[in-house]
Formats: sequence, structure tokens, C-alpha cells
Amino acid sequence: MEILGVFADVESAGRAVDGLLGEGFTEAQVTSLSSVPYPDGVLAKTGRHNTWFHWLALLGGIGGACAGFLLAAGTAWVYPVQTGDKPIIALYPTAIVTYEFTMLFAMIGAIVGMLLEMKLPSLKKRLYDPAIAEGCIGISLSIHPGGEAVICEAGVRPEECIGPVSSLSAAEQKERAEEVMRAAGVLRIIGEVQP
Amino acid sequence: MSDKRIPVSKSDTLMNDEMLSSLRPPGLAWYALIAFLGAVVAWGLFAFGYQITRGMYVTGLDRPVMWGLYIVNFVFWVGLSHSGTMVSAILRLSQANWRRPILRAAEAMTVFSISVAGLFPLIHLGRNWVFFYLIPYPNQRGLWPNFRSPLLWDAMAITTYIIGSVLFLYLGMLPDLAVVRDRSSGWRHALFRLLALGWRGTAHEWTVYHKASTLMAALIIPVAVSVHSIVAWDFAVTVVPGWHSTIFPPYFVIGAILSGVAAVITLMIIIRRAFHLEEYLTPLHFDNMGKLLLVISLLWSYAYFVEVQTTWYAHEPIEWEVFSFMSGRYTVPLLVMLLGNSLLPITALCFKRVRRSIGAMLVITLLVNVGMLIERFLIIVPSLSHKNMPFVWGSYRPSWVELSITAAAFAGFALLYAFFVKLFPMVALSDVRELEARSVSVPLGRAELPSIAGKE
Repeated sequence: MEILGVFADVESAGRAVDGLLGEGFTEAQVTSLSSVPYPDGVLAKTGRHNTWFHWLALLGGIGGACAGFLLAAGTAWVYPVQTGDKPIIALYPTAIVTYEFTMLFAMIGAIVGMLLEMKLPSLKKRLYDPAIAEGCIGISLSIHPGGEAVICEAGVRPEECIGPVSSLSAAEQKERAEEVMRAAGVLRIIGEVQP
Repeated sequence: MSDKRIPVSKSDTLMNDEMLSSLRPPGLAWYALIAFLGAVVAWGLFAFGYQITRGMYVTGLDRPVMWGLYIVNFVFWVGLSHSGTMVSAILRLSQANWRRPILRAAEAMTVFSISVAGLFPLIHLGRNWVFFYLIPYPNQRGLWPNFRSPLLWDAMAITTYIIGSVLFLYLGMLPDLAVVRDRSSGWRHALFRLLALGWRGTAHEWTVYHKASTLMAALIIPVAVSVHSIVAWDFAVTVVPGWHSTIFPPYFVIGAILSGVAAVITLMIIIRRAFHLEEYLTPLHFDNMGKLLLVISLLWSYAYFVEVQTTWYAHEPIEWEVFSFMSGRYTVPLLVMLLGNSLLPITALCFKRVRRSIGAMLVITLLVNVGMLIERFLIIVPSLSHKNMPFVWGSYRPSWVELSITAAAFAGFALLYAFFVKLFPMVALSDVRELEARSVSVPLGRAELPSIAGKE
């Protein structure tokens, strides 16, 4: 289950995040939604400084280099055009074509990797409020069913990601979170019905 | 869920309103502009159709000048495309905060000018209906495209640059597309919902987005340099006097940046005036871009001086013959080129008052690009007119067909840009608003100084 509180400014949103953490929710459960980026920790802490999408860019680059080399050198080899004493596989054009393909596929890999890491395009409808585009800040909280451990991100110690509040039922957790958000000055709270 | 009306921050809404003002329904002036540009493009298409049906004899191309205005246009438009993405990427990597309102105009310029550039080799082909011979694929004629030809390198480089520039433009627009999605209705909402891909602006999305932007900026710069270097090699790897020069690739790259930066400034001035963006595109931006233009103009002048000085001092007969022919036959264009690319920018842009004067900057940047178009002509035509064998020396005068297609290229570029500004956010509003959100006053001694909180 997810709830989204919409706040008018960064200060009230920050107070809400502090309140939620104080209540026993964990950093991994809280995220911010904003139309402009804020430095990590101003609102939520992502805890994910190590991204992996650039490996896909590297993979794309290596794949592109192979494709470019095969296209230029491979086809010159298969369909030889003999010109005087010039080599069939000429270094200069092969290098140029290989380079261009390397860069092209690296860029495509970077964009595809970025979208995959962001989990975009999003196929399911997620909580959102258009007021965020106008400068409001959304604070989203993932509520896990009572008694279950919160899913930990890689590199986060288990004791940090299992909040004491998770021992309560989901409805009680939601109630507590809404109270905290109201105390911080939330404008509206959007709730999600658990499937 | 409460129905309480949300008292959103007025400044954010106001900033959105102002920066998205270009998306408002167009007025009569816009339709008149579109009609005019469309008519010029239609005339250019007619001229191209005439060339296809009658053959290449309707152009001014003839032995020995087989590369004329089409290739001049190709080099010019590739050059123009150079700076948009490159300047944006360099400023992004160097975290220059003043870059923010400029990015979108620059990146869009690259996409449209490289698209226009890509048309000219196809127009120049002659038998245009066999353009697919350029595409390297096995075929039943037993004919394989010659990878040793620089023209094929062009095809590869331009394809890479077009795709890379479109991706870079799209990446920069992604958060802004979500803002437009949230403020639009009807078909626009459907379009922007599709393009925004469900972007919500979560902390994780922003973290990945920033890293991806930096990586893409780092990747696109060497591609931009390679594209114009390869265009320079079209000339430099031949043994034509005036072309066969080691300095050509860096000289072309510098020239391309010069013309691109000038074009970005010109477009900034037009957009600023048309959409009342005076608060976002301030004299500071023109001042900084003016300094950049000054430095690049100095570099271009140095490169041109080195090229000419080497020819003059060595006095190699055939090289000198080409230079003498160029300076004698095309004296006025040569002087306009030197004035527009070197003398005027270097002298005028030293002064802060000139750099901050919008009118003066418009005149200077337009003259830079007039100079660059002439420079492309003076590189290509005189060398072919007076090659190694005097008995085939000749001259070249573009026909009405070539001039019409050239005019259509400029109109087509403007037309694409006019449609773009009406459909997409013209100012990188997330970038601009980010700066606003992080602006703080820091007390220092007796004063309060403006500062930017946090690192990018």
C-alpha cells in the first residue's frame, strides 16, 4: 500500500519526513516527488548512489564497436574491392565506422539503461498529484503489511530497514502516517487501495 | 482524499506560466509566419522536382566545379548543428548555472540543423531515386558501398549525431514533458502523457536522471567533434590544392562552434522577444555567450591566419594560385567573411556594453553566420575552380534551382523550429526552477550574498 501526502513547500515536506522516520518508518519506505530536483537528504534519502545503468552504456559501446568493425572490415573482407595496392581492409575507414557505431550504441545503451533503472515507462498507474508540477512536494510512503519486514535495498543493513512500526497492521500504520503528515501541514493525502 | 483547494506556490506557477508561454494558442502572426515559410519550402520543393525531372544540368555544377552550393550548404548546416548540443553538454558538465535558460534552444537547433544538413548530400546525388546506395547493406547487384569513401563516413557520422542529438534533447525535456502533461488537456495531454513515460519526479528518478544527463553530455561531445572532423576529411583527404591540409579538422570544428554559438545567440534573441522571456534570458546570458563567441572568434582567426600564412610563406605555386584566385575573384565576399567572423566580433565583443546590448548582439551573430556561409563557399568553390591542371580551370555560378533550394533550407529550418516552440517547452523549466529553488542568501560580514545551496 502507498500513500502520498502533498505539501506546499519543502519545509513542511521535510518536517513530514522527519516525523515519519521518528514514528518508526524507514528511509527505504519514504520517497519524495518533486518537479525540481533537490539534493539528496533535503527530502528523502535515496541511498542508491551506485547506479548500474552506465554498465548498459558500456555494454552498448562494446556491442557497437563489434558491430561497426564487422560492418566495415567484415563486409570489405566478404566483398573485396581491390584498388591498386590498397589494403582490402583499410585501417582508417574501419576505425571511423567502428568509432561512430561505438558511440551510437553507447548513447542508446545509456538512455535504455536509464529508463530501465527508473522503471519507466510505467505500465501501472501510480500515485501522483498534478499540483507537484506547480511546485508542491509529494511525500510518498510505502506501507507494508503488518508484521512483515520492510524490503531492504542492497547495501542497507537489515536493522535499518525494519522499522518498529511494521509490527502494526497496515491500517494502523496508515493512520499514524496520516497523523504525522497532518501535523506537518499536509495539503491533501491521496491513498491507494491495496490490491 | 480531501477536496481542499491547493494553494500552490504562486512563484512556481507563475514561472511555469511564463516559461511555457510559447505553448499558448498561436496568433495571426504565427500563422502568417508559417504560411510564408511554407511557401518558401514549397518553392524549394518545386525547384528540387524540376532538378529531378530535368537532370543536374539545371544547376550551376559543371566541370571542374562539381561541388557547389549544395555541399556549401551541407558543410554550413553541419557546422551550425555543432554547437547546440556541444555547448549545452559542455555547460552541463562544467555546471555553469547560467546555462539553464539556454539549453533547450541550443539542443533543438542542433536537431533541426543536422536534419537539414542531412538532406543536402541526397539533393546533391543527382539520381536521387537511388539514394539507398548510400546505405550499407548486401545487395543483389554485387555492389557494396565503398567504406573507403569519406561520403560513407559522413552518412555514418550524421546518422549517429542525429540520433544522439535527438536522445540528448529528449533526455533534457523529460521532466518538463511531465510538467506540460500535468497542465494540459485533450490531445496534448495524451501526447505528453505518452512522451513523459510516467515520470513522477521521485528522488530516485532525479538521481538516475542527473547521472544519465552527465554521461550523455560526456558521450555527445566526442561525437560532435567527430562529425565535423569527418566533414573536414571529405576535403582534407583529397589532393586538391587548398583542401589537403592537416589543420582542416580542427579548423572546421572551430568554425562550426563559431557559427553554432552565433546561431544559438540569434535564436535566444528571437525567442526572448517573441515569448517575452526577458526575465529568464537576461543580459547576463548574452554577456556570457558573447565572451564565448569572442574566444571562439579569436581561435578561428588564429586557425585561418595559420592556414593562410603557411600557404603564403611556402609559396607553393598551385596552392598560391588557388589563394590568389580566391582573393582576386571573390574579394568582397572574402572581406565580408573576415569582417563577420573575425574583425567585428573580436573588436566589438571586448566591450561589456556591446555584449549586453541585444540589438548589437543580433547584428554581430547574424554577420558571423553570413561570414561562415561565405567561408564554406570560399573553401569549396575556388579550390575546385583552379585545381592542378590549368586547361580545366573554370568558374561556378549557382543557378536559380540551387538558390531556391538554399532558401527553402533556411525556411524549412525556421518552420521546424516554429512548430517545435508551439508544441514543446522552449525553456528548460525544471533546470531554471531548480536554480530558483536552491537560491539562498548567505550572510557574510555586513552583507547578504546570493548563493546556490548544494552541489549539482
